[in-house]
Amino acid sequence: MLLHIGAFRLDVDSERRSPWHDLIPSTRVLCTVLMVFAIALTPNGHWKTWGIYGLGIITLALFSQVTFGSLAKRVGVEFSFIGVVLLGTLFQRSGEVIWQWGWLQVTTVGLTTLGSVALKMLLSLTMVNILILTTPIPALLQAISTLRVPPLLVAIMASMYRYIAVLTDEFQSMRRAALSRNLMNSRKTQRLVIGNMFGSLFIRTYDRGERVHQAMLARGYTGLFPQAEIPKGSWRDGIAITGFATLAIVGQLFYIQGR
Amino acid sequence: MHHNPITIENLSYAYPDGTEALHQIDLSIHATERVALVGANGSGKSTLLQHFNGLIIPQQGTVTVGELPIAPQTLTKIRNFVGLVFQNPDDQLFMPTVWEDITFGPMNQGLRGGCLVDRAFVAMQSVGLDPNIYSTRSANNLSGGEKKRVAIAGVLAMQPQILILDEPSAQLDPRSRRQLIHLLDSLPLTQLIATHDLDLALELCDRTIVLNHGQIVYDGQTERIMSNADLLEEYALEMPLSYSRPYCLLDHAPAA
Repeated sequence: MLLHIGAFRLDVDSERRSPWHDLIPSTRVLCTVLMVFAIALTPNGHWKTWGIYGLGIITLALFSQVTFGSLAKRVGVEFSFIGVVLLGTLFQRSGEVIWQWGWLQVTTVGLTTLGSVALKMLLSLTMVNILILTTPIPALLQAISTLRVPPLLVAIMASMYRYIAVLTDEFQSMRRAALSRNLMNSRKTQRLVIGNMFGSLFIRTYDRGERVHQAMLARGYTGLFPQAEIPKGSWRDGIAITGFATLAIVGQLFYIQGR
Repeated sequence: MHHNPITIENLSYAYPDGTEALHQIDLSIHATERVALVGANGSGKSTLLQHFNGLIIPQQGTVTVGELPIAPQTLTKIRNFVGLVFQNPDDQLFMPTVWEDITFGPMNQGLRGGCLVDRAFVAMQSVGLDPNIYSTRSANNLSGGEKKRVAIAGVLAMQPQILILDEPSAQLDPRSRRQLIHLLDSLPLTQLIATHDLDLALELCDRTIVLNHGQIVYDGQTERIMSNADLLEEYALEMPLSYSRPYCLLDHAPAA
């Protein structure tokens, strides 16, 4: 979520009309969590199970009318970050050696692990990004709080969401001030200036955080965010949860059969 | 409304480093009175304002709001009684949408459903914000004047009996400033306005309090202090523009 600071509107497809949009936000969150858990808990090498889940996610993407360009861009950016971390799983001692260069070796087990984890990650990211593209962040926050996520954690997330914009604003204003005085001319001073900006940004945001907290107290804040009324689900929500649970079970049946 | 919403007796406050910000303040504000609080930077205006809402608990002396002395156990009631609008709306607006920000205070009061919607609608309309247009907008993308209105609406939605404003006309363009003056003039609340904008003080407030180095050095009619150039200069202030020259257009200036 934090990676999309530049394109600040996260829910670009939230205004569309589709069966997915008709579900209340907490149902959407529940379906997403169900799918992510089903994907992540499947042991390595069970491609058929992920194939089933992949088909389900593609169907959902088509149904929910998400903009495929935005979805691909977001998944791509996030995957490239996580991909770097995943590379370590490629090099393992066990299994048949396929390629070796000094002490560095790629084995069949390493390849299976990397492929499995990368596929799990890709499917999970796609599912989560469909949720974020189609659901406004305030509705998401309310949904997770109705699903009994600790209110303090939800409050921290809400403040974080609000402060992404404040942080970028503060940083941009400092950047403009630096540019206007020609401080970014050489690469050497540029690094120095940006380093100082981050220090300054920390102090500024700390001060602002204090002022915001005072403003919250002045309006009766007692440490927990007030809860809005919870939207009531309909038969559609029941069908959606049953559908996703069935998909998860079907995928797991393929896994059990293949053991 | 309580007939004597705010009473301060012998209030003193020092910062942790020992600097004295307020020194033996005695003050009483009556119901529906509109009072200007003026003074140079660092004179103690903001520190005094924060006492009214219980953001600062008195170190010495007492602050009584309605019939409640400011103390940790009375803060909830006091904050429902006194609405505080901060100088910089960015410090006040922190929820993702305008609607959520305006309903934040009433929800802390326990309001839900139709009552909450009505309260927020009335507050938005009273500051001239169309709920159908602004409710779903993010506070980040509003102009300075709009942010100020949202900040005021967020406080009005709590239906306070006293409205405290810190530099309400700062960062506003002339039209937004004029609209703000009309808005404050139309609100039948007790108001305390800390400002450097002496024209605004002159236009809205019959009574002015001048703070200097944490002490009240003048408490009386606004017109009297605004027409006393020497006294204003002594406290690092200037006469309002409307008083500083006896003509409006340069063509009407007396021949040199």
